[in-house]
Amino acid sequence: MRFSLNFVKELIKVDLPAEELAQLLTMAGIEVEHFEKQGEDYVFDIEITSNRYDWLSIVGIAREISACLGKRLDIKYPKVVKSPPIKDKLIKIENNIDCPFYVARRLQGVTVLASPEYLKEKVNNCRINAINNVVDVTNYCMLKWGNPLHAFDEDKIEGNIYVRKARDGEKFVGIDEKERILNRENLVIADDKKVIALAGLMGAKNTEVTEKTKNILLEAAIFSPLRIRHSRRFAGIDTDSSYRFERQVFSDYLEYASAEAADLISKICGGEFTGFLQVGKKPLSKDKKITLESNELNEYLGAQFPKAKIKSILTNLGFIVKESGKLKFSLLAPKHRFDITREVDVYEEISRIYGYDKIKEQIPAIPHEVVKNEIYEFKKELRQQLSVLGLNEVITYSVEADEDLDKLGCNNLIKLVNPLRAQENSLRPSLSLGLIKAVSYNLNRSRANLRFFEIANVYSRQDNSFCESSHLSIGLCEEEKDLFYLKGVIEEIFKFLNINDFEFKEKSLSFCANALEIFVNKKSAGFLGKLDEKIKNEFGLKKDLYLSEFDIASLCSARKLKCYLPISPYPVVFRDISIALHKNKHFSDVEKIIKEKKEYICDYRIIDTYQGKDLEKDFYAFSLRVFYQSKQRTLTSEEVDQVHNAIRELLGKQEGVRLR
Amino acid sequence: MELISTNKSVEICFPIRGHLCLKKVFNSIIMEIKVKKLEEEFEKDLLTAQALSDIEALRIKYLGRKAEINQLFSMVPSLSKEAKGIWGKNLNILKNKITFALDEKSKGLSAKEKRIDLTYPAARLERGSRHILSVVSEEICSVFEKLGFTIVEGTEIEDEWHNFSALNIPLDHPSRDAFDTFYLDIPEPKEKHRGKFLLRSHTSPSQARVMSLSKPPIAVVSPGRVYRPDAVDASHSFMFHQVEGFAIDKNINFAHLKGVLLNFARLFFSSDVNLRLRPHFFPFTEPSAEVDISCFICKGQKDKCSLCKGKGWLEILGCGMIHPEVLKNCGIDPKKYKGFAFGMGVERPAMLKYGINDIRLFYENDVKFLEQF
Repeated sequence: MRFSLNFVKELIKVDLPAEELAQLLTMAGIEVEHFEKQGEDYVFDIEITSNRYDWLSIVGIAREISACLGKRLDIKYPKVVKSPPIKDKLIKIENNIDCPFYVARRLQGVTVLASPEYLKEKVNNCRINAINNVVDVTNYCMLKWGNPLHAFDEDKIEGNIYVRKARDGEKFVGIDEKERILNRENLVIADDKKVIALAGLMGAKNTEVTEKTKNILLEAAIFSPLRIRHSRRFAGIDTDSSYRFERQVFSDYLEYASAEAADLISKICGGEFTGFLQVGKKPLSKDKKITLESNELNEYLGAQFPKAKIKSILTNLGFIVKESGKLKFSLLAPKHRFDITREVDVYEEISRIYGYDKIKEQIPAIPHEVVKNEIYEFKKELRQQLSVLGLNEVITYSVEADEDLDKLGCNNLIKLVNPLRAQENSLRPSLSLGLIKAVSYNLNRSRANLRFFEIANVYSRQDNSFCESSHLSIGLCEEEKDLFYLKGVIEEIFKFLNINDFEFKEKSLSFCANALEIFVNKKSAGFLGKLDEKIKNEFGLKKDLYLSEFDIASLCSARKLKCYLPISPYPVVFRDISIALHKNKHFSDVEKIIKEKKEYICDYRIIDTYQGKDLEKDFYAFSLRVFYQSKQRTLTSEEVDQVHNAIRELLGKQEGVRLR
Repeated sequence: MELISTNKSVEICFPIRGHLCLKKVFNSIIMEIKVKKLEEEFEKDLLTAQALSDIEALRIKYLGRKAEINQLFSMVPSLSKEAKGIWGKNLNILKNKITFALDEKSKGLSAKEKRIDLTYPAARLERGSRHILSVVSEEICSVFEKLGFTIVEGTEIEDEWHNFSALNIPLDHPSRDAFDTFYLDIPEPKEKHRGKFLLRSHTSPSQARVMSLSKPPIAVVSPGRVYRPDAVDASHSFMFHQVEGFAIDKNINFAHLKGVLLNFARLFFSSDVNLRLRPHFFPFTEPSAEVDISCFICKGQKDKCSLCKGKGWLEILGCGMIHPEVLKNCGIDPKKYKGFAFGMGVERPAMLKYGINDIRLFYENDVKFLEQF
């Protein structure tokens, strides 16, 4: 909201320079975002929190400034004249929850002109466009008291006035000249024939005050905040008026706003106040009694507040304060403060005016049990470890497009009821899409060497409910890094977690070729594979992508504490075997034999592979280096040869294995 | 360098005794010439030797198996008796001097390798990185862990009760406008009060859950992803990160909140920052405040600071004393217990601390961005 300092000065003397005033308001809770000099005036742009409707008025701002300066604001209330009654017109309220109270004042014989400069300036400096003297007066009074008013050209009103819900499809053309189609969510002011205002939001073009207007009907009303909220949402307009109604207006000030406006119109526009009509019941504000105990206040805030200070702060804010004991006050909250209902609300009032900065910092000693969050710590370690392995962590969106997820075979998705865009309408049950998109983004910018991982939650439907769990995904897209590099990364993770019981089994996956399912402790924990060619093309990836995904909880529960393994001081020797394998045989068949023959074998690896013409058809060859070591002594050449030859012999017996 | 004086030996060699004697005299002369030549050549070679490898080459040339000095030694028996003694001794001296000279020079050269272009670029190492948001979130949490807080992660799918109602946020009120929320098509839970399922719009629901499940004293921080239907631009994202924290005990007060936050700001940003608490409104706290830190770039000098835009302060979080209604909703007696709570984004402190000017950079995952942290 914007306010004019000169307007405030109509109610209270302010000697402070604008900058100091801005600081004062900000530290009291009215954040001044910006202020600037405008001629002889200053315009303040302030942010008002949703609990303080009362600050949406010059009276409220002036009261706050007074309290900050240690003074109490004295307001001159206008005289409220309620006669003579209007007899030739009826006002009918359909539902007194939507509109509990409606006041109309009639002014006749006005001359509609441009406003005098001082009025124009006040309104303009609060960033409301000056229109004409009548409209400017209604805005001036709204700004001053916080209660929106509306002036109708009475000669254009046909018959009685009705406050009712709009009919579905009813048309409304506002003073902004836009046509809107209304529905039952909108509350309207209508006459016998037409809608003349969208209640609490905007007047209609058909009864607008123009230069030709002679007679005026001035509306002031209380509308239900919820009704206005729904109405403005459906109509898609936000006005100064709806903003105030939605935050609730103070009914006591409604009378002042209406009376003062009528008075000003007759003074400035030359009209005569000739009639008054009120319908419904003015909502009564109940007295809110609160008992304040100063020791409780001190305990709550961790500071000592002098009694006199408490009293003066509350009095200046409009509380009625009575000392009811040595450390007790009985309070009557100001009627305009809907937000104050209990002690803590009063604590806030005292502390913010006293100054939060005057409360000295303390460090609490909280004797609670400190518990390790295992999964959180696990994820933290995993991040560290994966970055050590040369992978970059990415963060991708949890909300994705269903059509993209569908390409990866994800179905039965949890969908957003109110998505912002179709690109983000479903919760992802897998992290793979995020990696594909991150890789695609980078490839499109010619970035190379993409080694990514992500740790995030995935979501899936479970019967009538849902399941949310944490996953780890890994994606590799780099020259010379293939599925076996990815397998290496995964084995490194297992090594780090000290997981020995793991197994890779071939699996058919719709979006991956050459996929392997990963079993940890005999239970499925994830997969790895190469992104399917067709899907790769659908996402426009120019290079191969190798993907893997794990369930974090499975990994976390399988992790074992590491235990130091004594290092043998005896030498390692190796022997090589050249093997040719038939394509129907697997390396794992060879590996199995070596693993079974555990004696002295400490390691083995493939040192080269060969595919030459001298090989039998359907065979491929490799050299396997087997390392031998004893934990007790130096092995003799004969001992090594004996084990090695035994392996050779076992391998040689296998069908589809040729020793070379 | 004068290695050896030869004049003396020539003098000694000149008593002439017949032709054998003449041959011996002749040999002495040859020896003298050769020694002189050897000396000169060595001196020249020594001067041009630049690297340790050059010295080793000279060592082979002058002292090795095929070195000339060995040939000279083998000439000694063909000399006259007197000359034998002199030249034998002289050659040994020469050999020692060469050895000495080579050793001396190699000392000076020992550090000098073969000259290479040291301005060549460094080798590229393959290194990974954690995402800067993970780093910052973990860092924020670890600061609070030092202050005695425990970490609890909530779920991202939540219900209206935990996201709003329990936290004293009415479902249909302007105070909820700041918390626009994505709703999910999961059937409503049986417990009617929980309302509909949604993606949490802040990390505060985990506060409500922890309170409902545990008894004070409690001190918890809760990091995680949150979601709001905001169109994506340089400063908005529909998904972002928050860290929520709260502490509840019998005698917790507002001064404690200030103390904890001041310590946080000094550990996280800079040891000389100050805090400013501005009164604010949050439905779930009373009193409430927004917290600014003094600008750690301009140190309050303000003028033309690109970070704080000349304000001298940077907003970092919201906080307050937990509203009694919230305590009550979560099964904690507000007459017995009090608590404070605070919540902050992760993106904003990360942007402030590392000078990142566009929130989209966090989610595009450009490897050029990721590698910087």
